[in-house]
Amino acid sequence: MIEHAGHLPGLTRDEVRWRSVRHAAWRETVEIALPELDEAQAQALCARVRADARSRLKRMDVARIVAVIDEAIARLLDRQHPLRRKAEDLLPIVTGYDRETVRLGLTSYLKTFRRPQLQRFLAEDFSNPGMLDTFQPAAKGGFVRAYGPELLLHVWAGNVPALPLWSLICGLLVKAGTVGKLASAEPLMAGWFAGLIAEIDPELGECLAIVWWKGGEAAGEAAFLRAADTVIAYGSNATLEALRAKLPATTRFLPHGHKIGFGMIARTALDSRKAMMLARLAAHDVARYEQQGCYSPQLLFVERGGRVTPGEFARYVAHELAALAHRHPRRALSPEETASVAAWRGAQELRALDGGTELFGEPADPWSVVHVEKPEALNPTGLNRTLKLVSVDSLDAVPALVAPYRSYLQTAGIAAPPAELFRLAGRLGEVGVTRIAALSHMGAPEAGWHHDGRFSLLDLVTMTEIEHSAEAAAEGFAPYAD
Amino acid sequence: MKFRDRVILVTGASRGIGAAIAQAFAAEGGLVIVNYRENAQAAEAVVAECRQLGGEALAIAADVTSPEAVAAMAEQIGQEAGRLDVVVNNAFAPYRFDPDQRARFWETPWEAYGRQFEGAVKATYTVSLAMLPLLERRGGASIINIASDLVTRPSIPYHDYTTAKAALVGFSRNLAAELGPLGIRVNCVAPGLVCPTDASAATKEEVRETLIAATPLRRIATPTDVAGPVLFLASEWSGFITGQTLHVDGGLVMA
Repeated sequence: MIEHAGHLPGLTRDEVRWRSVRHAAWRETVEIALPELDEAQAQALCARVRADARSRLKRMDVARIVAVIDEAIARLLDRQHPLRRKAEDLLPIVTGYDRETVRLGLTSYLKTFRRPQLQRFLAEDFSNPGMLDTFQPAAKGGFVRAYGPELLLHVWAGNVPALPLWSLICGLLVKAGTVGKLASAEPLMAGWFAGLIAEIDPELGECLAIVWWKGGEAAGEAAFLRAADTVIAYGSNATLEALRAKLPATTRFLPHGHKIGFGMIARTALDSRKAMMLARLAAHDVARYEQQGCYSPQLLFVERGGRVTPGEFARYVAHELAALAHRHPRRALSPEETASVAAWRGAQELRALDGGTELFGEPADPWSVVHVEKPEALNPTGLNRTLKLVSVDSLDAVPALVAPYRSYLQTAGIAAPPAELFRLAGRLGEVGVTRIAALSHMGAPEAGWHHDGRFSLLDLVTMTEIEHSAEAAAEGFAPYAD
Repeated sequence: MKFRDRVILVTGASRGIGAAIAQAFAAEGGLVIVNYRENAQAAEAVVAECRQLGGEALAIAADVTSPEAVAAMAEQIGQEAGRLDVVVNNAFAPYRFDPDQRARFWETPWEAYGRQFEGAVKATYTVSLAMLPLLERRGGASIINIASDLVTRPSIPYHDYTTAKAALVGFSRNLAAELGPLGIRVNCVAPGLVCPTDASAATKEEVRETLIAATPLRRIATPTDVAGPVLFLASEWSGFITGQTLHVDGGLVMA
């Protein structure tokens, strides 16, 4: 079976050149056909989306867009819907994640895009979301209206299923004509979602396109990069820098680079009962999508002085990871990933020779845990269920340990009493942490969160203000003026 | 290759726990009779899997509650294998483990109990009776019946299902007492919730999490977890064990 990826309004399947890519996992294979547009097609597609956005999308009320997204998400949440079934069938083969991980992950993620959550998104960034539809009175006087870009280009990365929907939906909410570039590692969900939108509201479906090109090579790439008003891009710093260099100076660029998540466990949380519970929650965060998300924990700082020592806690976490591997087997790793895990383990083993380091799990286990006694700065692990636990005398030492890596900071999971949570949060915020979550919630940001501390919708729009002077002056030109 | 040249019958082996048990025996070199009721395609897939694992396998369709069908199966095993060393009574009447939609006691008709008795006790009775002549041919035969830890700890009261499994445990003890003098051992394996299987698909995450939190080994059983203890009870390593119930639920039940 061949699954055609993307969503290309105005182009028939025969007009497009397709690149076939074979994915195999869990003893099944699937063939994905990715669209490769030539330069003229890319240009025409961008022009078409821009024109449709201008003439149609900009005239739609946000309420209508919200209703369409809500309906599309409802269909994807319906486990009997053909597309949902297809997603549960194909995404495990394409991404390698096990079926249960995909099924549970899809539901917990998709339900954050229902109407009430979308309204929360809007309310989070706009004091009055009506300003996306019409001019609204501003507190300082005058009127203000928000405009999304006419053409917003998303460059997605990674293999976390359905992750692109996040920025795709943000763009639609601000009425941006949308072109999204699929990530090769998960090239399906965004196109399916766009297809659903088109099915529910054909007019809205004309205002978005989902495409693909081979990064850095394809003829179409330059056309897409030239056409966009705003570009949201995900990936490593090297990828983002290369992309930025290709963009016209006037294009707004919103990069989201790689991050390193970490957790902090206070001694008060480490009693005989809660420690075991926390170990399980932490293991869930580690195993969720094999630490491929920007919010996944790679280190846990564990405070000494609780009934359960950091070393004992590490052992509990190790067992929970072993238990989780039965329910959610780790996906098969690529040779590079295997090498990365082995290299990390090797480095830890070497350090263990000096003492103060304990390594849990065998090289063949689908997880690795290391516990170190000496305070250690933030450092990436080998990913794919590899975790380091660092003992500290006080969690107050942690902000200084992570501060040098400001550009890599985003999510911290904290288990501590309220006063300590707020004290630590204040200091973590100073050094660049932008999101603090409970353990087990690190991988599931709440609806309306501020990705990398930025405003997801507000960053996309420009404001047009009618200053009070203009409004007052207009009165003088009115036919009813006395 | 613990079961090289041994013949093992696994009922209800086209999917779930039964399929995992069949494959585990095959991996130890056994000739596995993959019994199934309807899904021939799934049974053939299990057979293919067994062969790939280094064992031999044969799919035989038979409704295990039908004496005629089971007699025909015994006949076929006798002709094609000439012996039978192990019977694993794994098949059970269709049941949906759905804690949210389960019938409460006063909503459970007597007929529902009847159906589960048929599936658990009558099926085991019918198969054991029909296979007995084959099992008696050589020493060291073993019958393993799949019960449930719900008998000891009804975490969720599935009245009809669990009562039938409780009867199966009683049935097995009597059979153990009867067949011991003939050198045939009879034991039960009692798993907790097993995922993933078709029957447990409707058990929500919340229930699974609650069970995991109460389970010392901190997870839910997989079909493979059940296979190990079955193989142990089928082997001479358990040669002096009969009439017992082995719980396979990560320590949720300790009895």
